[in-house]
Amino acid sequence: MAGSVLEARNLVKSFGKNRVLKGVDLTILPGERYFLFGPNGAGKTTLVKVLSGLWKADSGEVLLFGEPMERDAEGIRARIGVLSHDPYLYGELTAMENLEFYGQLYGLSDPRTRAKEMLKDVGLYARAHDRVDTFSRGMKQRLGLGRALLHDPDLVFLDEPYTGLDMRASTTLERMVREKSEEGKAFFAITHDLGQGLEMATRAGILSGGKMDTESEAGDWDCFSKRYLDVMGGGR
Amino acid sequence: MGATAAIFAKELRVEFRNRQTIVSYLLLAVLILTSFRFAFSTIGEDHTELAAPILWITIFFSGLLSLTPSYKREVDERTKEGLLLAPVEHQSIFLGKLAASLVVVFGLEVVTLVLFFGFFPFAFPDGLALGVILVLGTLGFVILGSILSAIAANLTQAGVMLMVLAIPVLLFTVVLSAVSATSEIFSGGGLSDVDSEWKLLTVFTLVYFAIGYILIDYILEA
Repeated sequence: MAGSVLEARNLVKSFGKNRVLKGVDLTILPGERYFLFGPNGAGKTTLVKVLSGLWKADSGEVLLFGEPMERDAEGIRARIGVLSHDPYLYGELTAMENLEFYGQLYGLSDPRTRAKEMLKDVGLYARAHDRVDTFSRGMKQRLGLGRALLHDPDLVFLDEPYTGLDMRASTTLERMVREKSEEGKAFFAITHDLGQGLEMATRAGILSGGKMDTESEAGDWDCFSKRYLDVMGGGR
Repeated sequence: MGATAAIFAKELRVEFRNRQTIVSYLLLAVLILTSFRFAFSTIGEDHTELAAPILWITIFFSGLLSLTPSYKREVDERTKEGLLLAPVEHQSIFLGKLAASLVVVFGLEVVTLVLFFGFFPFAFPDGLALGVILVLGTLGFVILGSILSAIAANLTQAGVMLMVLAIPVLLFTVVLSAVSATSEIFSGGGLSDVDSEWKLLTVFTLVYFAIGYILIDYILEA
């Protein structure tokens, strides 16, 4: 689709004999907050890893900003951010050093200033010079969010973003996601938390058994929720 | 270049903040030298044939131990994906980590040399010749060790696997040439007397570097 930030066609991914993705199609437009739900083992995390370019699909195609990853891997990576279960932070480094390091990797002109801004945004400026291995799980996740948004990406993947977050951190996450999406940035998130997810989503989908089961737009959440409960109740 | 420098600085910062690891490399060097000192308690200044093996075994094992965490830490701390998602060439990761490993191993080598000449009664040989061989030998084994460390990083027993993979290859290439050249130097030889060895070490170094530079894409994505 013209103008899409992400377009996936017929993605298939297997691990040995286990076919995890069985032909997934997906399109995400600028400014969208797409939330994907599904039971454990549905292939959600695998899908995020394939879409973000960490893993290659066995077949099918992923276009990011209209181009396949292989055509300009570094250019595309500079425009995407990923917040995973793991915040990708170095415990031996301070919060400031972690963000500065990633700022340098992403070629920011002034990584230190940007790191300070981001630490203020995620509410960790007071702990800027503390080692990350002294942080709680929630603080690490907030810093991980700062790392994922540090380079102002056009598309952000959030893999279970609410895991380990307290209410304050969840509010910070939601505020930042809403602000960025109003600027035209797109978000693709996977979560088990239907209530929190649908509150944030502009569009949502259910992945079940490696296939896209249902997709709905905001305003049609009643049918979507019923279908979700059917899928969860019926297992795979 | 910016990404390589950033990775280099990050590696050193993490390494030196993990004081336990630095202490363990130094401790291994001290233990190996002490063991040899007890084993060869009657060693004299004229037993120069023992100098090179003692020196290289100490450098080789303590150096290899220091190479294990470089990639393994990224896997254990789950930061490897963060690096792979960044818009940097995998070669920058390889170069940054390699440069940091070289700083650590050369640092270890300086300490090892001081201890070596303190523990054993060998006369100090031709400094230039010894320096050239130590630098070339170290480059060779650190480059190959770094590649193998990246390969072994996903395995549970990465340290053991690194030794298993590295020793057979390095023993018959870099270590053999380095020990042969160092023996000649301790027997009074100069750089011109170890012409073939330093050239061979240069070739090993270049070949290992080329292999690492080309294969790192496949190794990191595996």
